[in-house]
Amino acid sequence: MATATMVMGRIKVQRRFGLALRVTIVIALLALAALPLVLGGDVWAQRISRAAIYAIIGLSINTLTGHAGQISLGHQAFVGIGAFAAAFLASRLGAPLGFGLAAAAVAGALTAAFVGMVALRVTGLYLALVTLAFGLTAETTIFNWREFTGGGAGAFAPRPAAVSGDHAFALLCLGVLGLVLYIDWRLVSTKAGRALAAVRNNEQIASTLGVNVTGYKLAAFSLSGLAAGLAGGLFAHWNQIVQAMDFEFQVALVWVLMTVVGGLRSRLGVVLASAFFALLPLTLPNFLSSLPWQPSFLNEAVYHVLPPFIVVVMLLIVLRFFPGGFGQLLSPVTRWISGKGEKS
Amino acid sequence: MGAFLALGLFQGAVYGLLAVGIVLVYKAKRVFNFAQGEFGGVAAFTAFAIVVGAGLPYWVGVVGGLAAAVLMGLVVERVIVRPLESSSRTIMLVALVGVALFTIAIIVLLGQPIPRVMPPLIAGGGVNILGAGILPQQLILMAVLAVLAGAMAWFFKTDLGLAVLASSQDTRAAQVVGISPVAVSRLVWGMAALLGGIAGLLYAPVGIFTPGFMTLTMLVPAFAAAVLGGMTSLPGAFIGGLAIGVVQNLGIYYLGQQLKVPGAAELGVFALLMLVLLIRPQGLLGKEA
Repeated sequence: MATATMVMGRIKVQRRFGLALRVTIVIALLALAALPLVLGGDVWAQRISRAAIYAIIGLSINTLTGHAGQISLGHQAFVGIGAFAAAFLASRLGAPLGFGLAAAAVAGALTAAFVGMVALRVTGLYLALVTLAFGLTAETTIFNWREFTGGGAGAFAPRPAAVSGDHAFALLCLGVLGLVLYIDWRLVSTKAGRALAAVRNNEQIASTLGVNVTGYKLAAFSLSGLAAGLAGGLFAHWNQIVQAMDFEFQVALVWVLMTVVGGLRSRLGVVLASAFFALLPLTLPNFLSSLPWQPSFLNEAVYHVLPPFIVVVMLLIVLRFFPGGFGQLLSPVTRWISGKGEKS
Repeated sequence: MGAFLALGLFQGAVYGLLAVGIVLVYKAKRVFNFAQGEFGGVAAFTAFAIVVGAGLPYWVGVVGGLAAAVLMGLVVERVIVRPLESSSRTIMLVALVGVALFTIAIIVLLGQPIPRVMPPLIAGGGVNILGAGILPQQLILMAVLAVLAGAMAWFFKTDLGLAVLASSQDTRAAQVVGISPVAVSRLVWGMAALLGGIAGLLYAPVGIFTPGFMTLTMLVPAFAAAVLGGMTSLPGAFIGGLAIGVVQNLGIYYLGQQLKVPGAAELGVFALLMLVLLIRPQGLLGKEA
C-alpha cells in the first residue's frame, strides 16, 4: 500500500515535472522563432512576413489537397487574383487595408469556387490538368488585363501608415497566419473535418453516410481560395508592387511540392516547410556568395534555379522514404509535447 | 488567316508528337506523365552539346540525344516510378512534376539559362503554305508524327503491345501467364522517353530553345491534345495535336489580333480543354473507361 502511494506520487511528480518541462520547451522554441524578428532588424522582419505568407499558401493547399483530397496545380491563380484585387483597391480606390484584404480573400474564394464547380464533374488526374491550364490562363490573360492589373508594368499596393514599417507588417502577417491556423484547427476537429475525410477517402461511401459531397467539395475549394486570396493580398502589400510574372506556373508547382514535403494534414510540418522554402531563395544566394570557395558553375543565374532544385530533391526523398513529410519526422516530438504519447 | 491555320497545323504536330508519348504511358500505366516534355529537353540539349559543342556529325548528335532520353526514362522508371507504384496517382503525378522541374534545374545548372540555336536537319528556306513560311524541319516533324502515331497504333496490335495492355488491365493475371510487370514498365518508359526525345530533337531546331522549352509551353497543349483525342487513342493524339495547334492559332488570330485579349493562345487551349471535359469527357476517339 505504501509503495503504491509512493509510486503514484512519483508518477504525479514526474508528470507535473514533465508538463513544466514541455511548456518551457514550447516557450523556448517560440522565443527562438521570435528572435530574428526582435534582433534581425528590417531584413528579418521582411523575411518573416514572406515566410508567414508562404505558410498561409501552404495551409491553403493543405486544406484542398490534404483535407479534401483534391489537387490544384494552379494555385497561383487564386493567390494572384487576391494580390491584384488588393492592389487595385489600395492604389485605384484608396480603400483601407482591411477592406482590401477582405476583397482579396473574397476574390480568391470566388475564383476557387469556380474551379471547384469544374471539379464536381472532372476528377483526379484530369482535375490536375484543368487546374494547371487554368493557372496558365490566369497568368497570361487575367493578370495581363491592363485595366485591372496595369498590364506588364504591374500594380502598386502601398502600405497604409499603420503597417508601413516592416515590423508592424510582419506582425500583421503572423496575425493572419494565426487566424488561418485557428480556422484549420477548428475545421479538422469538427464535423466538417470528418466529412471532408470521408469525401477524401471515398465519395460514394461518404454520400451514403449522408455527407453532402458537392457542398463540402465546393466549401473546401472556397476555403482554400479564401486563404490563398488573403495570402495574395498580404503578398501585394509586402512587395508593394504586383506583376503577372510573380505568378508563373513553376511557382504554383513549388507551392504544391512544398506542402507535400511539409506533410499533408500536418499543420506544423506545412508551416515549417513553407517557411523554409520562402526563406531559401532569400538566404541561399547570400550564404553561397559568402563561402570561401566558389565552384565555377555557380553564378547569379544559377542561384535563381537552386531553390526549386532543392525543393525537388527534398520532395523525391520525402515521397520515397517518409511519405508523411516533415510532419511524420516531427510526430514523436509533437506527441511528446502535447502529452498524447503517455499512458494516463 | 490562312497563314495562322497553316502555322497552327505545324505547331500542332509537336503537340501531337508529345501527346503520342503521353497516351502510351497512360494506356500502359494509367499515369499522367508530366515529365514527357523533359525527355525531349534532355535529348535536345545532349544533341546540341555533341553537334555544336563538340563539333561531331549530326547523326552522332541524334543517336546521343535519343540515348540520353532513353537513359533518363529508364532511370526515372527505376528510381521514381517503380517505388511509388503502390501510392496514389496524385502522389505519382506530383513526383513526375518534380522530375520535370528537377531536369530543368539540372539543365540550367550544367548549361546556363541562355537561348541556343540548333542547326536543322535540312537547311534551306521555307515552303509557302497558305501564306505561311513553313520550314523543311516542320514538314519532317509532321511526317514523323504521322509515322509514329501509326507505328504506335500498330504496336498495340502486336503480341508485345497486347502484353502491355494486359498488364495494365490486370497486373496479377498477366503475371500468371508470364508477363513480367517490371519488364513492361521498363519497356513503356523507355519507349515513352524515346518518343519524347524524338519530339525534342525535331522541335529544337524550329526556333530558339532554352532550358525547359518543352515543358513550359508545350506540355499543357500536348495534354489537351491527348485528352481531346480520348487519352487512350493514338490516332486521337494525332488529330488532337493538330486540332489544338489550329485552335490555338485561331485564338491568337481572333482573340489576340482582333480583340486584343492578352494570352489568347492559352485561353483558346483552356476553353477547348474545358469544353471537351464537360461535354465529351471520353474525347473524340476514346473508348469508355
